[in-house]
Amino acid sequence: LASSKEKKKNWIKLIYSTSLSPEEIVYGKKEEDEDQNGNDDDDFFQVKPKAVEDTEALDAGKEAIHPETLKKWEDEDMLESIRHLFITGGDGP
Amino acid sequence: MAQPSSLIHFSGHQHLRSRLVLSILSGKHVRIDKIRSEDKNPGLRDYEINLLRLLEKFTNGTIIEISVTGTAILLKPGVILGGTLQHDCSLSRAIGYFLEPIIMLAPFAKKPTSITLKGITTDEHDLSADILRTVTLPHLQLFGISQGLELRIKRRGAAPGGGGEVQFLCPIVKQVKTINFVDPGKIKRIRGVAHAVRVNPQFSNRMIEAARSILNRYIPDIYLYSDVYKGEESGKSPGYALTLLAESTTSAIYCSEAISEPGVAPEDIGLKATRALLAEIEKGGCVDQKHQTLILLMMVLGSEDVGRCRMGEPTSKTIQFLRDIRTFFATSFKIVPADPSDPSCTQLTYSCYGTGYVNANRTLA
Repeated sequence: LASSKEKKKNWIKLIYSTSLSPEEIVYGKKEEDEDQNGNDDDDFFQVKPKAVEDTEALDAGKEAIHPETLKKWEDEDMLESIRHLFITGGDGP
Repeated sequence: MAQPSSLIHFSGHQHLRSRLVLSILSGKHVRIDKIRSEDKNPGLRDYEINLLRLLEKFTNGTIIEISVTGTAILLKPGVILGGTLQHDCSLSRAIGYFLEPIIMLAPFAKKPTSITLKGITTDEHDLSADILRTVTLPHLQLFGISQGLELRIKRRGAAPGGGGEVQFLCPIVKQVKTINFVDPGKIKRIRGVAHAVRVNPQFSNRMIEAARSILNRYIPDIYLYSDVYKGEESGKSPGYALTLLAESTTSAIYCSEAISEPGVAPEDIGLKATRALLAEIEKGGCVDQKHQTLILLMMVLGSEDVGRCRMGEPTSKTIQFLRDIRTFFATSFKIVPADPSDPSCTQLTYSCYGTGYVNANRTLA
């Protein structure tokens, strides 16, 4: 049980006391970034990691629907698994 | 107490809308620089300029300075005016892009708002006029903003031609109510609007049939409406879409939407919207992801009491919004698991102490 507790994100801390970007918080920080910095040791010049900002990223109200995430809803068991969230669905699983 | 002239500084083009709204509500000046400064086509986009013009019209005494290169802006907010207005929205974005900030500001205006916006009513990026009407406005009612709150879809307009027209009516309030919304309840009904403009009107029915093939198993109370717009009212470009919403016994609303794509059958659009709705239902909570920021903003502006709301995990947009709220209003949220006894539950309870924001613009009759 202790491990599952550790896995849970401490949202207050992540949001208010870290400098992680919102995307890093949501999707988890990528380990690769750290590795790259390590490899650069023997270079005289270090390329300053530039904040990658998608200039075309839209300030959108809806998030795009990814077809892959909807795939699971083709499955009959998956459809049944949320029946308890409806008034007709009884008390739950 | 912060000085009224205190200047808040941001970089980058992202989260522009929420920052402008927070600046206008808090009265704090804001400077945003490095707007796409590294891009081949630097500076503000046409729709962002269009939004700034709209906000300028919607307020009185707002000073907006844009640098020569368009990569920096300075906003000195004035008074939120409201009243009767007309605005032609840029056709690069749907009306939802422009209306969302207006919805956040209108309750705190000097006069009740009646604004007519022209442009694209439904596209794939922004909340469509249907979602705004059937989902966003009921969320405002939670905070005591209800009398005379209305969105009329007069004409529909699909991208790229647009030609749509909506009218948004919003009353003014002195203060918003504190909410305590922690019981998601169970879903009791499903509603939907299908529309098809400048294409075969049967497309609506085909989307509805497809949606029903999945939804009929859950509950009997399903009403999917085929909204017909003809002639001039159907805008300049062809398109169709299905908007679905599920309402719970405690009035929590989940919504989804799918719009026409070239080469995809209406049935598949119907199924896409339906499955997206099921995904929202599975995430649970009292407020769906698209409306997290609106709810959090109203909670911060609430009376000086603790407001609570149960929602899913924050999106990246919400995370930045929470940080920006702290910058402008010095209020931070407490975010804890909604159900600590259930380790698989990802829902969270957001709570904060309202700032007791009072609408000082309101005319005293």
